[in-house]
Amino acid sequence: MNDTPNNVPILEGRHLKKTYKLGRASVPVLLDASLEIQQGEWMTILGSSGSGKSTVLHLLGGLDRPDEGGGEVLFRGESVWARSNRQINQFRNHEVGFVFQFYHLLPELSVLENTILPAMIGRLGGSTTDSRARGIALLEQFGLGHRLAHRPRELSGGERQRAAIARALINRPSILLADEPTGNLDEETGSGILDVIGQLHKDGLTVVLVTHNMEIASRGECCVHLRHGQIEHPATMA
Amino acid sequence: MYQTLLTTRYLTSRVIPLIAVAAVALCVALVIVVVSVMSGFLNMVQSSGRTLMGDVIITYGISGIPHYDDLITYFENDPNVHAATPIVDGWGLLRMPYPDSEAKQSETVQVWGIEPTSFAKVTSFDESLQWKTPTDNQRNWLLLDAITSNQENLRENLNDEQWNELDIVVNSASNTMNFESVSLWTDLQELLDESQWKLLLQYDERLHNPNALFQQGLSLSQNGKEGIVSGLHVSEGNERQKDGTYQVIRNDYWWLPRFDGTLTMLPVDAQGGVIEPESIIMPFVNEFQSGVFMIDESRVFVPINVSQRLLHLDTAEIVDVDDPSIIVGIDPARATSILIRGIKGIGADDLQVRIANMYDSFLAGLPNDTLVFPPTRGDPGLTIHTWEEQQRRFTGPVEKERELMRTLFSIVYLVVAALILSIFWSIVFEKTRDIGILRSIGASRGSIVWIFLQYSLVIGIVGSGLGLFIGWFITKNINTIHDAMGNPPLGIAIVAFVLATCIAIYTAIKSRSGQMLPIVLGSLGIITCSGIGALILFIRHIGGLVIWDASVYYFSVIPNQVDWPSSLVTVCGAILFCLLGAVIPAAKAADTDPVKALRHE
Repeated sequence: MNDTPNNVPILEGRHLKKTYKLGRASVPVLLDASLEIQQGEWMTILGSSGSGKSTVLHLLGGLDRPDEGGGEVLFRGESVWARSNRQINQFRNHEVGFVFQFYHLLPELSVLENTILPAMIGRLGGSTTDSRARGIALLEQFGLGHRLAHRPRELSGGERQRAAIARALINRPSILLADEPTGNLDEETGSGILDVIGQLHKDGLTVVLVTHNMEIASRGECCVHLRHGQIEHPATMA
Repeated sequence: MYQTLLTTRYLTSRVIPLIAVAAVALCVALVIVVVSVMSGFLNMVQSSGRTLMGDVIITYGISGIPHYDDLITYFENDPNVHAATPIVDGWGLLRMPYPDSEAKQSETVQVWGIEPTSFAKVTSFDESLQWKTPTDNQRNWLLLDAITSNQENLRENLNDEQWNELDIVVNSASNTMNFESVSLWTDLQELLDESQWKLLLQYDERLHNPNALFQQGLSLSQNGKEGIVSGLHVSEGNERQKDGTYQVIRNDYWWLPRFDGTLTMLPVDAQGGVIEPESIIMPFVNEFQSGVFMIDESRVFVPINVSQRLLHLDTAEIVDVDDPSIIVGIDPARATSILIRGIKGIGADDLQVRIANMYDSFLAGLPNDTLVFPPTRGDPGLTIHTWEEQQRRFTGPVEKERELMRTLFSIVYLVVAALILSIFWSIVFEKTRDIGILRSIGASRGSIVWIFLQYSLVIGIVGSGLGLFIGWFITKNINTIHDAMGNPPLGIAIVAFVLATCIAIYTAIKSRSGQMLPIVLGSLGIITCSGIGALILFIRHIGGLVIWDASVYYFSVIPNQVDWPSSLVTVCGAILFCLLGAVIPAAKAADTDPVKALRHE
């Protein structure tokens, strides 16, 4: 995790606009959304279903591109979308760790293989042996040491999400982007996942989490509301 | 590396790649079998043509080439010529020994008058002779024939008791020999003393010297008498067995070398008019099998002087037109064709040019007072062809058919490509979310393409490798498979019906759960097994199935040599088409928007 110069946000969205095409109809989702995430911060983006929370997260994580002339995403002050395709792939692989609501683990791979997949793609962290060792260590840290060779379908929802978090962390990213990480889990399991994220944040990881749940939003340091395609009333929660 | 891991997992955890491998394998095997059989067919036509007629053939229709002996000697002086032999060919009627009644059957035959020694040097005549030594049954028939033909002489050398006993043994044997093997040989050996036995064997050279059968075939003579060697399919008494061997019906009763045949030919005069038919009775001394059905069913070999005599192409006196009693010269014997074989290493085309030039120089070197000249090369009736040109009317259509088959079956490659395309389209559709995940964790477009190309490469290599093996196996065993299809064993039908019953019981038990898949699969199994059983019963009912009819395809066996160059092209083509079939879906996969892919249901 590289350090960011003082007062430069690690990740910033400026005047983001995003319109989806549904057949012939255009559906504007983001009208003018701007936000700044500081190094080591836990920011929660709160919004109702369909408000565009996930879209913001995808734009920030380099998974999706803003509309033409529809703002920009800056990572450590540099535009993400001004980079080459290869650099954008590296950005997704090295700098960002994604955690999705539906885990998105590859069903044909074991838990350990899913975990070390980003390391294999990015060829980071030294040899395969090193990646495996780090993957095992992460999974043991998240209580999945006995599940290494299991396939995702053999795991509970909470276990899958912990495996997904392990995968997101394998390349030691600068930011963890979590899209409703507890949305598919019961309250107790979801709370356990938030505890894991909380611990990672305490260890210095920058976290951006989107949710529609006020209670979950209260776990972060900073919360922004997404309403009518715009970020409203940023407020310090803690 | 992760691409290989994913490819391996995709290949081993799903049924669909197995279906793709099976489809590729079947397509490749199909092409290999068809092209191999067609190429083998063409090769057989070509090689049999060369084996049967040498490298270059000089032909001059009905009136024949005079001074052919000198011409052959002239050719053979050339170091590039291995041997040359004259032929006098024409069509004739051959009166066969069957049936038993007085009215015998006649076959239309193509008569080749040959000089056996030189003919064997140019062709593989010696290798084509069917009967090397008589079998036990054939020897018994020869023994019986010898006794029947030499009764009076034999009677003088046997006492009454021996004669009566011989009569009983021979009568008993002749009644049963048509149906089963008998011990006539040993019975008579025990009955007769040594000198009598030797006397009996002396009646037929083939009895005391089994190799005489082959030698008589080679020399076209028997006891100094001219003989006929006929194609194996000329006689209706020879029946091809499933293993490719031949058996003579009625337990070797109709074995042709036991009998004589009457050959009748129509000579034609210089004006093309038909003269009185000429006939000759000759013993069948052996039979030959060239492997070319068309030849084996119609050709007979006789000594060249016989056919010259029958066609009036032998030596004749030239008389004065005004006074026929004055002989003015000799019209030499003629040959209608001369077959020439070159030494090893010389091509037929080169030899053809040399022979043409030598023919011209031979004509130029004939003395001016020669009465009868061979035709000049300007004569449209004279042809000097290579064996390929001579065979062109057969090989030409076969070559075209092979190319047509290749073209038609190349469409199979397109089927492979379409199949792989559809399979990969469905795989990519199914794996859309995986692609989104991979893109979200940093996988490049190129690496996504490579995952699916590797996938198709493995399917292509495994499928076409398997297809190559299946194609090789079917081609190698095509005659056995053909015979089994022609007369499928009843046991297979019984096994198929038992299997259908077992599947029906199993399906009935499984269907209690109400699930549809066991019912569908069970029904398919029942239909397939009972269908195979019913088909076998039907084929047996109609008396067997003949797909490869020797009378249509020239050869009595189906070519079973794999055409390796074409097979390797097919394998490479299948792999290439697998890659082509996968590249579009793979590119589509790579271009999939990660966000949309992640939302894919």
